[in-house]
Amino acid sequence: MSLPLGLEVGTLLLKWHLQNTKIIKPSDSRLATQNSGPTSMSIESLDPRVTRLQIEPEPNPLPKPALDQLITFEVFHQKKEGLPFTYVGPVHAADEEIAFLFAKEQYSRRAMCSGMWIASTEHVFVSGYADDSTSVYDTMPSVYVTPEGPEQSYEIFHLKKRGKAHQHVCTVTARSSEHALEVARQTLNPAPPVVSVWIIPSIHVLRQEEDRDMWATTPEKKYREAIAYRVQDKIDRFKAEQKA
Amino acid sequence: MYGGGNVFEATKFDDLEQEDPVKLAEFEARIARGEKIEPSDWMPQLYRKQLIRMIEQHAHSEIIGALPEGTWITRAPGFRRKLAQMAKVQDEVGHAQLLYSAAETLGKTREQMLTDLINGKSKYSNVFNYPAFTWADSNIISWLIDAGAIVNQMANAKGSYGPYCRALDRICAEEAFHLKYGHDAVVHMATGSPIQRKMIQEALNRWWPPIMTFFGPSDKMSMHTETLMRWKVKMASNDACRQQFLDMYVPKIWELGLTVPDPKLRKNEEGVWEYTEPDWDEFKRVINGDGPCNAERLAVRRTAEERGAWVRRALLAPKATYVRPLA
Amino acid sequence: MLENAIKDLLYKIADDQLILGHRNSEWTGFGPMLEEDIAFSSMAQDKLGHSLAFYTLLHQMGEGDPDTVAFMRNADQFHNSQLVELPIGEYDFSLIRHFLYDNAEILRFESLSQSTNEEIAKIATKLKGEVRYHVLHANTLVKQLGSATQESISRLQQSLEYALPFALGIFEPSKHEQELIDAGIYSGEAALQNQWLERISAVLEKTHLKLPEIANLQPVYGGRYGQHTEHLQPLLDEMAEVFKIDPTAEW
Repeated sequence: MSLPLGLEVGTLLLKWHLQNTKIIKPSDSRLATQNSGPTSMSIESLDPRVTRLQIEPEPNPLPKPALDQLITFEVFHQKKEGLPFTYVGPVHAADEEIAFLFAKEQYSRRAMCSGMWIASTEHVFVSGYADDSTSVYDTMPSVYVTPEGPEQSYEIFHLKKRGKAHQHVCTVTARSSEHALEVARQTLNPAPPVVSVWIIPSIHVLRQEEDRDMWATTPEKKYREAIAYRVQDKIDRFKAEQKA
Repeated sequence: MYGGGNVFEATKFDDLEQEDPVKLAEFEARIARGEKIEPSDWMPQLYRKQLIRMIEQHAHSEIIGALPEGTWITRAPGFRRKLAQMAKVQDEVGHAQLLYSAAETLGKTREQMLTDLINGKSKYSNVFNYPAFTWADSNIISWLIDAGAIVNQMANAKGSYGPYCRALDRICAEEAFHLKYGHDAVVHMATGSPIQRKMIQEALNRWWPPIMTFFGPSDKMSMHTETLMRWKVKMASNDACRQQFLDMYVPKIWELGLTVPDPKLRKNEEGVWEYTEPDWDEFKRVINGDGPCNAERLAVRRTAEERGAWVRRALLAPKATYVRPLA
Repeated sequence: MLENAIKDLLYKIADDQLILGHRNSEWTGFGPMLEEDIAFSSMAQDKLGHSLAFYTLLHQMGEGDPDTVAFMRNADQFHNSQLVELPIGEYDFSLIRHFLYDNAEILRFESLSQSTNEEIAKIATKLKGEVRYHVLHANTLVKQLGSATQESISRLQQSLEYALPFALGIFEPSKHEQELIDAGIYSGEAALQNQWLERISAVLEKTHLKLPEIANLQPVYGGRYGQHTEHLQPLLDEMAEVFKIDPTAEW
């Protein structure tokens, strides 16, 4: 393969690519032993992995059906034992168990972590958002009628500043999410700012706090840290050699 | 990894007069105070549409961006590179996940975004339509494309939309590894054996023209652009990003004894970089589908989606209902 | 000599991990969901990291440095089971292989963490937590997909039947079995295989998948003695393509 150089690269690459994209007959790629080379119709790529996928050109795919990407779960992580659980972001998954499998690698592969909580987005009650300097609790009506119904436990999360992350502040017992908000206001009586409150029934929180060994080696995976790559010495040596 | 060019094809400038003036004033005052906008806040249609478009393109750029470097994932030389290349490409997929989620909070589902990607309806960063011919190409991408992306993303991380900022904070932290890793790999090649030096110089020659288009053409300063800048959607002009990139990285290329394939490239007396104007006709042609790898990139993505469909269908609980992610 | 026996054991462990980690890295960018793509890549990286830890130990015992050992040997010098060298196939096959392999791996690590050889025990103890996640990942997905749709069940069943004889090859006895067991290095392949069968049966019982009668299967042996399928050499050639441009260079 000769490598085209210089500024006319776009045109040359295009020609190269057309020469190298063959189109022939597809074959069954299901079984492991069969997908080692391109079929006559499939894309032959610079990436040997792509070649092995035996991709046939096939324009106009159908639109994805609803729920093709499953549903969403909200993920909270704990950096170190004793620290509050803090929101890190959502994952798409089928249920809490799978959401944890996914969340662990998406949200804790690069940072210290000692535990994770997962809750389906639909189980999170959101208070709404106040201004950065105010408290969302202060916008609630001052008279509150306690609803009927059985009590259960709720997890309360506060957002202190827009653009930052919700953090777990306490667990309360209440008769509904709205009621939990009222109980949290009375128990915590927090000084502003509290920009927003999230409330999740405790039974809907999947907790992964026991098996900390799963995270034990994360800090040792230096190959994915910037700090592992120091080349100044090499550059200095090279420059010195060039001068000499 | 993402460059500018995101507002290159301007959306129709919706008439702001149709928006509720009181709400619009509150919204603008919040941004002026330096507060972030969160998903459940009122926002003008133009803001929502432009952000969806921008974050979605950014997400597509990450998932497609995993492919050029992925080209060398099975061939990285030695354990150190092999592990890092795997982690680096994985991060790009991770960034896509974060960004699709941020865009979802604005009301476009991941299904809709992926459909638009694989049908060629949505755009992604044009550089990923070029191939990574050799291992050295993947090093140049890791270093310089990620460097460009950081310039852009650091600016965008100061934008006004909370979920996008949260995603970008994380992404920028991870890109720091990419940049150092890429630089490390290029330094090893450039200071290595004659054959390594030749490989890296050739890769730089191939990638320089796409890199120069990475931030998009000079912005046309319109009312539209000014509004988006006031709303902290667009955070820096394409030219400003390009200048910053050149300022930070050309000296680092030169100190390795490498040649930038542009005879006009120099920093003038006013401290402004001069260069040969990139071929914007080629840029437009490639971004509109006629590039060396467009067809393959989309075919790969489409195939991954199709072949994974049975897994997703099987996992889906019968009573599942979709709720937008919260933040 | 016990040292040779230990080296043989370490090579087969490390070679399995290297080759499977390499294979699973082929999924990056092509996974069935973004989130699963990320998880699969992490596990592939872990596998590679595990092999590096064991090659490093081998290096301390006088063998070549890890890069040379991993990138410069030919297929007949590799001691991995044939299971790990098979192409990734579709996701059902890769998942089933991951399930069969990691349920064996966790037992191996547990056994090695009790080893009389302190160095081996140290590595196994440290890395066990990572394998615990791998097993949780595999078991959870096999449980769900193995009892979901007709399509997912039949795909997993087909892959299970295809992969199982190869998976039995993980436990191909070496000529040093008794020596290693007597010295308390680990519990030996036969013991591992029995425990493994219990583990995978317990998971499969919760699904609609049927574990074929093991007694009727012919295990695919040979890998531990350097006999491989036609897939290993091309994999190694691909892996070393850049490295071999200049094996003495620093990349």
